[in-house]
Amino acid sequence: MDFELNHEQVLLQDSVRRFVEKQYDFDTRRKLVREGGGFDPKHWAVFAELGWLAIGLPEKHGGLGGSAVELAIILEELGKGLVVEPFLPVAVLAAQALAAAGVTGEAAQVLADIGTGAARPVLAHGEIDALGEIAFVETAAVRGASGWSLTGRKSLVVGAPFATHYLVSARTSGAPDDPQGISLFLLQPGDAGLERIDVRLSDSSRASEIVLSAAEVPAARLIGTEGNAFAALAAAHAHATTLICAEAIGAMDKALWITRDYLKTRQQFGQPIGNFQALQHRMADMLIELELSRAQLFGALAALGSAPAVRDRAVSSAKVQIGKAARLVGGQAIQLHGGIGITEEYVIGHYFKRLTMINNAFGNVGYHLDRMSRLAAV
Amino acid sequence: MDFDFDPADESFREEVRSFIHDALPADIRERNVRNYHANRADTRRWTTILHERGWSAPSWPVAKGGTGWTPMQQFIFDEENFAAGAPLLETGGLKMIGPVIYTFGTPAQHERFNVPFLRGEISWGQGFSEPGAGSDLASLTTRAERQGDEWVITGHKMWTTNGHYANWLYLLVRTDPTQKQRGLSLILVPADAPGVTISPIIDIGEGHSLNEMFFDEVRVPAENLVGEENKGWTYAKFLLDRERAFSAEIPRNKRNFALLKQIAREARRGGRPLIEDGAFAARLAQLESDLDGLTWMTLRALARQGDSSWDLPVGSILKVRGTELQQTIGEMHVEALGDRGAYVYPEPDFATGEHHWPPGPDYAPGVLADFLYRRAVSIYGGSNEIQRTIIARQYLGL
Repeated sequence: MDFELNHEQVLLQDSVRRFVEKQYDFDTRRKLVREGGGFDPKHWAVFAELGWLAIGLPEKHGGLGGSAVELAIILEELGKGLVVEPFLPVAVLAAQALAAAGVTGEAAQVLADIGTGAARPVLAHGEIDALGEIAFVETAAVRGASGWSLTGRKSLVVGAPFATHYLVSARTSGAPDDPQGISLFLLQPGDAGLERIDVRLSDSSRASEIVLSAAEVPAARLIGTEGNAFAALAAAHAHATTLICAEAIGAMDKALWITRDYLKTRQQFGQPIGNFQALQHRMADMLIELELSRAQLFGALAALGSAPAVRDRAVSSAKVQIGKAARLVGGQAIQLHGGIGITEEYVIGHYFKRLTMINNAFGNVGYHLDRMSRLAAV
Repeated sequence: MDFDFDPADESFREEVRSFIHDALPADIRERNVRNYHANRADTRRWTTILHERGWSAPSWPVAKGGTGWTPMQQFIFDEENFAAGAPLLETGGLKMIGPVIYTFGTPAQHERFNVPFLRGEISWGQGFSEPGAGSDLASLTTRAERQGDEWVITGHKMWTTNGHYANWLYLLVRTDPTQKQRGLSLILVPADAPGVTISPIIDIGEGHSLNEMFFDEVRVPAENLVGEENKGWTYAKFLLDRERAFSAEIPRNKRNFALLKQIAREARRGGRPLIEDGAFAARLAQLESDLDGLTWMTLRALARQGDSSWDLPVGSILKVRGTELQQTIGEMHVEALGDRGAYVYPEPDFATGEHHWPPGPDYAPGVLADFLYRRAVSIYGGSNEIQRTIIARQYLGL
């Protein structure tokens, strides 16, 4: 066993860290989310140029064939800077769904184009009544003369306002919660019958609800084979859940040290408030939760290549820890700052908002505890 | 990064497992899986068996009579021992005074104490804490005065685990009253020396592992001093870094978690298995997640043992959360036992194996006593509050 980064990984970490420190300070970010719509094409070009978008793609699809460890390194650093561009939705969730679905033709080209930055597909899978349950799909695909007709609604499709493609899951057979019978389709902005309702999210990133009203999809735009998309969706979610844990670790780490610095400077009762033991112990608990999160990330990364039951148990275990830690670290980072912590102009509340969203993304603590119980009972 | 166990470690695990399977006497196993306090006869017998195999000091270097195992091998050995119900080797001799003697003591002390210890012949009792010196250990007042070729010791020590079995004691004593930490020394005392009185402290689980010790002008030869005079504090602390990876007691937590799952499968709520109760199952899953985190952090700490550039206070983190997990698992054991969780199942007579237990399932005896005793784990070895202060001050710089 070895928990250290190798030389190339250290260089990668340095390069992402430099980008965040030099090009993504809090003022730049504030401007981007207020005036820039939450997406800067120049940033995306940097992601492509430095190879971050290609790193997790298989070599046969034009990628660098890196492992999830490299993606975790990137996400942790992006988490520290509260980067709002949809790196994870595109380069992890959509990329892994495509790679796992076994794509050919147009979809294979989309996958390859992620690496160069030419394509930005996002996965339109979640539905409002699924609440984390990956197999729950009510959006229906009905076979027509020349293809498929899709009807349904997808919620919280993060990054959709900037996407070039949508990978839409729809049920081609079975009950709403049946893992069998889910298929994946490739759609694009402007497709007939597809309406996008853009939404600003609490963490300043952007998403859409995608409403499908008998949207016509040609037969060639079925990704993979009919009814068999669940395994690819589950694999993509395992990756995305693990890597959002890495992002959370970056965000918690930064929030913790910002708070530490504040405790050393803020004076009350004639001394730095960091002298008070009640606050010191709170900080110790925050560090403990952060480091246990890091440990759990190793466990999830280690299990990503395992059989689904083993993989999902480890991923759930990590997400449970992340959720618990995110609540404590995010909430107490504000608490220890006092009033300034709840202001929009100060940075710490933005970490809280991102951590809150991460806690609820890809299944919250309750969902993952339940999934662990179900997997243990098997 | 590489998250896989080394194949050599996997085969080592198999080797250890099959040895324990063949070598561990059934009666020893029976007492230990119930978590009743260790029994000297068991520990001695098991140490002798391991000594014949060359395994009685898993954490010592080969040159000192140990196995020379890597930290990972030591961890695997602990896990397999615990899972099989083997008794813990004597922590005081193995992890504290033994290494202090072979590192700071004389070769003669090593021959006299450590070599017989490895054969199971010496049982050590630790005298550090005092009635007035708990968390503030350096304020201890037990006094050792030099008179000619002897040390004369007077004072009162507390919380000595297995002191009633000990034939030797190692004491942290004050040799310079004008200094605090720098006025302490480490001295070895025969448990049967005139003036030594050892009396039991019965814990709230009605078990006897703890003792207090009184020293009334006890005389020992000058050569019983370990290392240099007034360096005792340094010796007492030097092992902390080496042992930090073991602070979460993963082997114990794993065995007790497995027991909790067994109880939850067999116990019924309203006639249905307790494990099918959604709220209970969710709490079980939470513990499983906690155990996963501690396990991965332990594996990381094992991989980095001896690396002083890694300044994370991993020992403190593992201690705080590992002890909290022990206590929570114990609470849920008792809860899952239901009505029988309230029954007292007295410790069996170790000599005869005889016991007088009220009705209940086979797994019930021992659970309550262990739960109650485990309130101690967040107090001893530097209370969890002290650990949090260490984290905040030394690592976070507050």
